[in-house]
Amino acid sequence: MTGRQRLVAGLWPPRVTRAQLTVAALLFVLGLGLAIQVRSTSDNSALRGARQEDLVRILAELDNRTERLEDEKQSLEAQRTELENSSDQAEEARKQTRQKEQQLGILAGTVAARGPGITLTIADGSGSVEADMLLDAIQELRAAGAEAIQVNGNRIVADTYFTGTGGDIDVDGNRIGAPYIFKVIGKPQDLEPALNIPGGVVQTLEKERATVTVTRSEKIVVDALRPVKRPDYARSSTR
Amino acid sequence: MIAVLGLVIGVVAGLLVRPEVPAVVEPYLPIAVVAALDAVFGGLRAMLDGIFVDKVFVVSFLSNVVVAALIVFLGDKLGVGAQLSTGVVVVLGIRIFSNAAAIRRHVFRA
Repeated sequence: MTGRQRLVAGLWPPRVTRAQLTVAALLFVLGLGLAIQVRSTSDNSALRGARQEDLVRILAELDNRTERLEDEKQSLEAQRTELENSSDQAEEARKQTRQKEQQLGILAGTVAARGPGITLTIADGSGSVEADMLLDAIQELRAAGAEAIQVNGNRIVADTYFTGTGGDIDVDGNRIGAPYIFKVIGKPQDLEPALNIPGGVVQTLEKERATVTVTRSEKIVVDALRPVKRPDYARSSTR
Repeated sequence: MIAVLGLVIGVVAGLLVRPEVPAVVEPYLPIAVVAALDAVFGGLRAMLDGIFVDKVFVVSFLSNVVVAALIVFLGDKLGVGAQLSTGVVVVLGIRIFSNAAAIRRHVFRA
């Protein structure tokens, strides 16, 4: 009897013998163990079958990695805070620059201005009002806190000049005629008394037979503009 | 035939029932399975040689499993568990191959 015949005889026909039953029981145990092992290896990644020292190593690696990532996160957050701060600062600086530009523009007469103030009208029928009287009026208004002034459509700034004699007066080279209308932005309660003080602008002008009226207003618009002039020689010395 | 049926039923039961293996036994299960495989191949070869005795098969099966598990357990206690289980797998693998070669000669006559 060859081995092959013995194999065939064992397989068919099935016989219930003690040997077959014992082997079947042991093979059942083997199949069970095999299936369980295959299942646990396939469904729970590599960690399930890993030994203790491997697990400890993996854990340590994960800890290291977490630490590194935590560090990275902190540095990135610091960077973000820094960037936010700097952009806030830049925004603040821009805002301040814009405000400053507006303020300086009002002083230099390059932007229009509005606000409370007074209107001073000098009606000069006899042509006796001289350029220096108008200049006196301007000085008085400035001393009383006038912030923006225009006379008959000419903006009054630091280098404004008045020339000419009674009746023919030039402001910055522009001929203006009576009546002279001053639009002044400032605190009306300060400006009007400053003109009306005894021996002041109004009295002096009335002595020259000019008619002077001062009207307070909550809304004065000074919209005459001066062109922006770039100085030829002077440069900003800051920075 | 019944023996083969036993193996098939075991695999199916393991896949379907999904029994929870106690954590204590878990590290030894793979080595025990390989040891049992070795015993099975040995038994098959003995059967083909005509010298199969069921009592010998049962003893060799159980002792293989127990000894393999014991070696791994000992290795774990000594701190060389990974190396020892590799060694056990290599030895059992060699035995399985030599048994498989004998079986092949019987079945295919080559």
